Amino acid sequence: MKIVGVLVVLAGWLIPVVGVAITQSTSVRFALVLLGIAVTLFGIVGVLNKAHLKSAIWKA
Amino acid sequence: MTSRVRMTNCCLWAAVCLLFLYGLPAWGQAQAPTSAPAPAAATPAKAAPAMDAPLDVKAAQPPSTDDLTAKGDPGGTATGTVSDVLVSDAKKGLTLADVVNQVGQNRIAVNFVWTLICGFLVMFMQAGFAIVETGLCRAKNANHTMMMNFMVYGFGLFAFWVCGFAIQMGGGGPYSTLGGAYSLTSEHVVNFLGKPWGLFGTHGFFLTGASYDVGVMVLFLFQMVFMDTALTIVTGSCAERWKYLAFAVSSVFMGGITYPLFANWAWGGGWLSQMGVNFALGHGYCDFAGSGVVHAVGGVTALALSMIIGPRIGKYNRNGTPNAMPGHDLMIVLTGCFILAFGWFGFNPGSTLAASGNGALRISSIAVNTMLAGCTGSFGAILYMWIRYGKPDASMTGNGLLAGLVAITAPSGFVNTVGSAIIGLIAGVLVCVSVEFVERVLKVDDPVGAISVHGTNGLWGVISVGLFADGTSNYGGTWNGVTGSVRGLFYGDASQLVAQLIGVGTLIGVIFAISYVSGWIMDVIIGQRVSAEDELEGLDIPEMGALCYPEFALQHQHPVSTGGVAAD
Repeated sequence: MKIVGVLVVLAGWLIPVVGVAITQSTSVRFALVLLGIAVTLFGIVGVLNKAHLKSAIWKA
Repeated sequence: MTSRVRMTNCCLWAAVCLLFLYGLPAWGQAQAPTSAPAPAAATPAKAAPAMDAPLDVKAAQPPSTDDLTAKGDPGGTATGTVSDVLVSDAKKGLTLADVVNQVGQNRIAVNFVWTLICGFLVMFMQAGFAIVETGLCRAKNANHTMMMNFMVYGFGLFAFWVCGFAIQMGGGGPYSTLGGAYSLTSEHVVNFLGKPWGLFGTHGFFLTGASYDVGVMVLFLFQMVFMDTALTIVTGSCAERWKYLAFAVSSVFMGGITYPLFANWAWGGGWLSQMGVNFALGHGYCDFAGSGVVHAVGGVTALALSMIIGPRIGKYNRNGTPNAMPGHDLMIVLTGCFILAFGWFGFNPGSTLAASGNGALRISSIAVNTMLAGCTGSFGAILYMWIRYGKPDASMTGNGLLAGLVAITAPSGFVNTVGSAIIGLIAGVLVCVSVEFVERVLKVDDPVGAISVHGTNGLWGVISVGLFADGTSNYGGTWNGVTGSVRGLFYGDASQLVAQLIGVGTLIGVIFAISYVSGWIMDVIIGQRVSAEDELEGLDIPEMGALCYPEFALQHQHPVSTGGVAAD
């Protein structure tokens, strides 16, 4: 799950980076960058951190 | 209950007033007529004196050395005159070329001295970080925490000298305010999506060859202390359970690779800074003094490593509710905050790398913005804690001050005072909300609140450039290769906000991923966390071999349940 989390985080970054090259519209770029940030945050909070919390020391 | 409602109403009115005040100058600027350029004066052309012709300096009335020998110069009016201008050829006497060269060297000298002194101030911030972090930790870990903060300076400096500086600044030159630093002009570039993407610099390793240059040395010192600030953020969030060896290796890696990479993309001519030139996104990613480059890089690295290392024993109960683990010395915490606020006057105004020319006189505005945002940041935090918990929490007020300073770091060179006050106020509230979120929702243990102070507010600072930059700054006519001044969304350039958000995405995407993967590999190879026995005993003896307070009888500490109020 940790590897998946890292890949999701990187995928979130790629969305706006590729997006700026394929469109000139500021509003579309803005939407893409927000989408990318949301995906990255999901990777950190929803995947990576969740994987760490599964084996947290306070659960033992 | 009634008093709380009253306080809430007061806060709302204060916010409305601030927004109104903010709107006035922006409206006034929009209404102001554009002044027409003054017609060129019709002055008769005069033949310029030859550069190498001797000048008649009698009119300058140089002081008599006999007078100076006999009377001295108590008023200071006879010191620093034409007699002090260096003459290249004594036979010929003073020429116009001598005067012009002296003027040029004076300008660069002013910039050198300014940048160096600001760098020295930033270096002193290490002392502030050290005592803030140590004060917020328990006494049984004081030596360990202090020693991490002490040696992060050496580990980081060494790595930065070996390769970090070259990766960061090797392709960013020339730097006109520092006399050129012409050797730093080699950037590794790849072509992607039809555009050049600068990835890292390739000149300046070990500061040898053409990098053995006075201008490069000034730049190195200033950038080095910035890098060290980013590294010391991580020691706070991982304190009280981080193995010293893992800390050492991690600091060398961050100072040599992670930090310089992002700093190159933002400040060294890399791809983020070129978003304006390549993709017409405002002036590209703009980060005046490093909310993103320094603080958010430190903050997201702190988050990645804190997740890997895990919380301290006793921080969370079995049901996941947090316990407060108060620090041992509030006095040094708040003293450290003051030291940091003082050092910030080097951090932000020094980032002009100049005090003369290229619009550098804006240093006064940058300094005022810095102090204002720190002030409103502490207001935001103290009000939030007072309203929510009924008491003005001391350590969170300190964190609020730092949060305001962190947030204003990126926009300090681009915004006006009302903008900086709003940015700081929001940062002060944001740090409190973020501390609660990190502690209660993420369940990531951060003993000093570093993730919230530097990470969350570093990102807020980056975004705020894209909102509040007012278009009045002009550092030599261009910024990141784009002509004109930086403007945010509220001043008519929405694309600048997009560029800033791409910077945010890169920080939480790429920099977080690099930090996480490298920290994970280190965890597998050498282990990041100390043993449970060592952690319970305190790390001073097991890790460092000496107690910080040997004459104190330290009490065995039990976690105190407070319903989850953050210790920091």
